[in-house]
Amino acid sequence: MLIPHPLLGPRDAQEFTYLGDASLLNRPDGLADTAPEAFNDYVYLRDNPAGLHRELWFHEQGDRSWLIVTRNTVTHEILGAELARDVALAAMGGAQ
Amino acid sequence: MTDLTPIMALGGQSARTQILGALTLSETPDLALASLALRRGTVQPVPMGLPLPGPGGWTAGQGVSAFWTGPGQWMIEAVGRADTGIEQALKHAAPGCSVTDQTDGFAAIEITSSAGGAPIRALLEKLVNLDAAGFGPGSATRTGLEHMTVFVIRRSEDRLAVIGMRSLAGSLWHAVERAARHLQEGTQ
Repeated sequence: MLIPHPLLGPRDAQEFTYLGDASLLNRPDGLADTAPEAFNDYVYLRDNPAGLHRELWFHEQGDRSWLIVTRNTVTHEILGAELARDVALAAMGGAQ
Repeated sequence: MTDLTPIMALGGQSARTQILGALTLSETPDLALASLALRRGTVQPVPMGLPLPGPGGWTAGQGVSAFWTGPGQWMIEAVGRADTGIEQALKHAAPGCSVTDQTDGFAAIEITSSAGGAPIRALLEKLVNLDAAGFGPGSATRTGLEHMTVFVIRRSEDRLAVIGMRSLAGSLWHAVERAARHLQEGTQ
């Protein structure tokens, strides 16, 4: 299986380690009144879709960047990969 | 004071060299290494007149060379300066950046071919899961080699460097030597 690394091109999936659902980027506010419930959801609850899934992969034997890989969980087709850093920064409004 | 005798990464008194067919493997103990990382908001420097390469690249300058190791991170090499290190000079040349001496953490094997690029490509195909044909001169990347993490650098059409963790130097040499030996036996 090849992961299309946005900087380095196609790389062997063996170089990567898998973490899980990309929603882990959206860590809840720990100071909010609803923090216990929000963290319960954040830590334990995952969707388990049959189909497209956005997930975090770490290029451990490579440039050590975190990627968000879009994968079809039914066919294992890899549909794209982007730097998790770019996604997280864009979600924060592009602030560095 | 205790009398200590310096030895090479592979344990010998002098650097190991081995010729296997068209390929010559050489342990390179005199290669100084230092990592360079940008800090937030710093501008990418041009240390020692060396233009830093983009992703997957390697560039050579006057006595120093650099390869990309990650976003905003490079490894700077200097042949013949392992005794003194280059971190002081590099820190001076790249103000505001994080510089760390890496020389003693790694062991380098330089591989030269006497028959052009074909033996190097054949060796790459045996050793690493990269596109050997697309890994031309000026390419460098970090990848896995027999479960070890290595930097692979294509210095020219007929030269390749494999830089691995120093504590695994023996296993790395064994892997490269065995692959080169199989190539030699296969072509003879």
